[in-house]
Amino acid sequence: MKRHQKLVLAGAMLLILALAATQGRHVRHLRESESFYRWMLAAAVNERLFQDESGQFKDKELFEQCNAASQKLAGLVPTVAAVAKEQPKAASEPPAAEPGEVSEIGKASQEYKNDPRIWALARSNELADARASFLKLARSRQLRFAQDIQYAEAQESGVGLFNLFFGFRKVAANFIWIQVDRYWHQGENYRMVALMKTCTALDPHFVEAYLIGSWHLSYNVTAKMMDTPWPQRKWDPKYSACVGEKEKYYYVAINFLKDGIRNNPRNYKLYFDLGFAVYKQKLKDYQNAVKYLSEAIRQPHDRWVPRQLFICQELNGQYAEALAGWEDYARRFPQTSTGQEVAPRFIKRNQGHLLEKRAEEAFKAAAAATDPAEAERLRKEALKFREQAKDIFMVLGSTEGDALRMRIEATELAEQKRYMEAVAVLDKARWESAELWDDLSHRIMRYKADGNLPISLSEQKEMEREKDAGLCAGMPEQERQRVQQKNAQLN
Amino acid sequence: MGAFIDFFRGPWHIAVYTYREGIRKKTLIGFLILSLLVIFGASFISSYLDPTSETDIDLKLIKDICVATISIFGVLITIFISASVVPGEIENKVIYTILSKPVRRIQYLLGKFLGAQLIIIVNLVLMGFLFCAALYMRQQVFPSLLLWSLLLTYFEFLIISAFTFAVSCASTSAVVPTIIGLFIYITGNLTEFLKDVQNRAGQSGKWFDDMIGWVANALYQMLPNLQNFSLKTQIINGQPNDPPTDVLIPNLMAYGTLYAIFGFLLAWVIFWRKEV
Amino acid sequence: MSIAIQTSKLTKVYEGSFRAQDVHALKELDLIINQGEIYGYLGPNGSGKTTTIKMMLGLLFPTSGTIEILGNPNVGSASVKRNIGYLPEGAYYPDFLKGEEILEYYGKLYGLGGKDLRHRMAETLELVGMTHARKRLLRGYSKGMRQRIGLAQALISDPAILILDEPTTGLDPIARKEIRDILANLRDKGKTLLISSHELLEVELICDRVGILFEGVLQAQGTLDELLVQRDVTVDVDDLDDATAAKLAERGLQVEDRVGTRAKLRVASAITAYEALELCRAFNLKLIGVAPRRETLEELFVRVVGAAQSTRRQ
Repeated sequence: MKRHQKLVLAGAMLLILALAATQGRHVRHLRESESFYRWMLAAAVNERLFQDESGQFKDKELFEQCNAASQKLAGLVPTVAAVAKEQPKAASEPPAAEPGEVSEIGKASQEYKNDPRIWALARSNELADARASFLKLARSRQLRFAQDIQYAEAQESGVGLFNLFFGFRKVAANFIWIQVDRYWHQGENYRMVALMKTCTALDPHFVEAYLIGSWHLSYNVTAKMMDTPWPQRKWDPKYSACVGEKEKYYYVAINFLKDGIRNNPRNYKLYFDLGFAVYKQKLKDYQNAVKYLSEAIRQPHDRWVPRQLFICQELNGQYAEALAGWEDYARRFPQTSTGQEVAPRFIKRNQGHLLEKRAEEAFKAAAAATDPAEAERLRKEALKFREQAKDIFMVLGSTEGDALRMRIEATELAEQKRYMEAVAVLDKARWESAELWDDLSHRIMRYKADGNLPISLSEQKEMEREKDAGLCAGMPEQERQRVQQKNAQLN
Repeated sequence: MGAFIDFFRGPWHIAVYTYREGIRKKTLIGFLILSLLVIFGASFISSYLDPTSETDIDLKLIKDICVATISIFGVLITIFISASVVPGEIENKVIYTILSKPVRRIQYLLGKFLGAQLIIIVNLVLMGFLFCAALYMRQQVFPSLLLWSLLLTYFEFLIISAFTFAVSCASTSAVVPTIIGLFIYITGNLTEFLKDVQNRAGQSGKWFDDMIGWVANALYQMLPNLQNFSLKTQIINGQPNDPPTDVLIPNLMAYGTLYAIFGFLLAWVIFWRKEV
Repeated sequence: MSIAIQTSKLTKVYEGSFRAQDVHALKELDLIINQGEIYGYLGPNGSGKTTTIKMMLGLLFPTSGTIEILGNPNVGSASVKRNIGYLPEGAYYPDFLKGEEILEYYGKLYGLGGKDLRHRMAETLELVGMTHARKRLLRGYSKGMRQRIGLAQALISDPAILILDEPTTGLDPIARKEIRDILANLRDKGKTLLISSHELLEVELICDRVGILFEGVLQAQGTLDELLVQRDVTVDVDDLDDATAAKLAERGLQVEDRVGTRAKLRVASAITAYEALELCRAFNLKLIGVAPRRETLEELFVRVVGAAQSTRRQ
């Protein structure tokens, strides 16, 4: 080979090496941007849904820095309104949450379709400073939500967890999970909880671990426990709630799921379990249940997910939303058995609830009206709504419809001070529908009290218990008064 | 155009022949059988879990173990094949009959390299197919994400293969290149440490300390980082439309290809004036 | 007659690793091989034969000096190698392939294909007498069959020059004879053959010219007629006894290869063949035959190498 050929070859090699190194730099940039992007989504979700702040971490400051930097990029993150215009929403999708204190990035993160925009933001030059400080903070472990910096540079403290398992940490997470499972069967809950956290630290995208872990905590662990009576519970300022033995685990489960949501903000299962399994089923906190179930259906989701949202909306008294949801559902899935059989029943039920609610409002308005003619008109309207509701419940049929109809009849009887008859009707009604048992029993007690009718021993005990409901030691005064007022209103 | 095709005709015949010869190696078949055992064994490991929990956790376990298995056995196959295609032929003197034909040395190398890639790809496809089948039997859904994962796995192997191949061209037996290949795999996964070395160096302010940091940084910039490909373990359980993943996959493919070209050129430089 | 292969001042030094001595494998070798001849390239083991051949094929690179093949100094290039068929010594042929598949593979490397290749394959297989075994796997081949298939792969492109490294090593006499016939046949077709060997008898039987290499130096080169000395006559006799033998020796007839009563009488240059025959009659010996005696290649080889060894010792 001639000399110039050697030179050409050497040149080609250098060129390729330079290209490869450049591509390596680009890949590194992308991977750093990726972890930055995941952190940004986590921070945005946290800001929008949890407002979970902690003094020792610097997530919030960095997120503010990101937001400020993104302001310079007009149009990169479209406003919520612009997104809504771009993608006309189906009626069942919940309206965008109240903006409140939510930042630009936070707003954009609401829609998973904006992910490419946030990703573009995360790797843009404009956010280079924020990205650099992200890497610095993440390496020195000052960011709570930056759990997976596998793709960033080596950690400041040397051997990172990922190096221990040589890139196979996800496999390690699986084997740890098998151990978690064993601990669960042996009933060693504390060990189980600790290992669960290790497991998700190794693999932050281990969605099943979050799901099963929170299920263990909120269902299986607490199944063996007794309910803590209200007065013995303790106020926990962190959760703003009275916490008993069981609740302690519920909130651990909630935090675990929230961690999962921050790491996997586009997985509906986590939102669903948080809203349905814990808030609805365990804490009976329908407001939060609706909040998280609404988030669940904002992500790509299975067909059965919205159903629970509508049920929770109904339980939370949001009949109009539930009605609209069911109607849309029936329209979209006319072929399914849910669309054909279940949805019409729920539609009727919610229509009835809605009419009942309007009737109550009309009665209230009539009572408040100064003009007698106006009051009379409102009263007539209310009666009309009430009749319509009864008709609908009639059509709804089955034991459930009967119970709901009888509830209205009892209300009418009570208004006419025929308390004995009202109680009799309700007593019959509550054997018709198990779902309404608690509600109807409460009404019976109320009417008995109003009509000075004798109450049974168990009812007496129940009322004693109800008086303390929601009250516990160490509550802030304001909260105590609010709960007491609510209790007084119910009884 | 005709000359271009002519140039690749010889390498293609050599590649096909290399493939036909290589696919019969007993060690290779052994690795393959072992990996298949693990892939199917993963189903048994998942039976340790609570059968009452109605989730896809066993599915995840199978996926993770299988991706890891494919990586480990695939790397062994890759190293073993890349290290032996050229030295094996020097050992049994077949190389004399080939290089004495009107075949240029680069054509010969290209043929051997392509042949090795064929073997690696076929093995990967075979393992991937069985993995797919194992998943399909459980899930009844075709695991399309697995294909992306396998693709990334292949490009990781491509880098290891090219560098092992370059080493093997300097050697007359397959033992040393195999050991060096394993070394390349291990160090390639630890490239991130160089950044750590750089961060730690330069603290004493002495010139040699600074120099160590400088060298570490230079190596960090130049050497391939196989940890980049750990994305393959993430894809398999991830979301279908993850914007960073979508961008990273083609970039990682380009990354793997460029380093593979460099490794191949290195092999050529070594083999160019090699006396066989 | 034009020159097929010519080397001038070809030198090869294998550099020793640290502290080890350099090995001078070839020292200023001037080799000339004419077209259309069979050239026997002789030398003891380790004398540098294979090194020379590998340099001709571009497998090794000369330390200094040049090689020209068919007038082209760019050895190792595809255009030169296209005209060469090479049978390496002791090469392995993949035994999972069939005989004809191997030929197909090597043929394709020559750029042959299609009908052309099939035609050449049939022809070559016929030539080396392997047509009957073409469909069999190499695993089932005997050593001779492998050597034949090796020869076939060297011949597949019908090259002008054939370089054969130890073509008959390890074969039985019948196979040797057949291969020899094939080679002679090729020479008759106008091919140039370079046969490296230390089987002197083989070479003597078919080669036109020989070169004797010892320790990297070409000790002798030329046609057999030029190199071998025509020296004397031998007389084969019977009924010889000890007393007669002693008397014959006094008269200048040396007794060689005596077995029982039979012996060869070597006629020294001092007496003529007639005188020798007279003596035989005088001693009443039974005459079996009279033959001229030429120096064998073996003798030449021993002579040349021995001379080289003694020069080195001095």
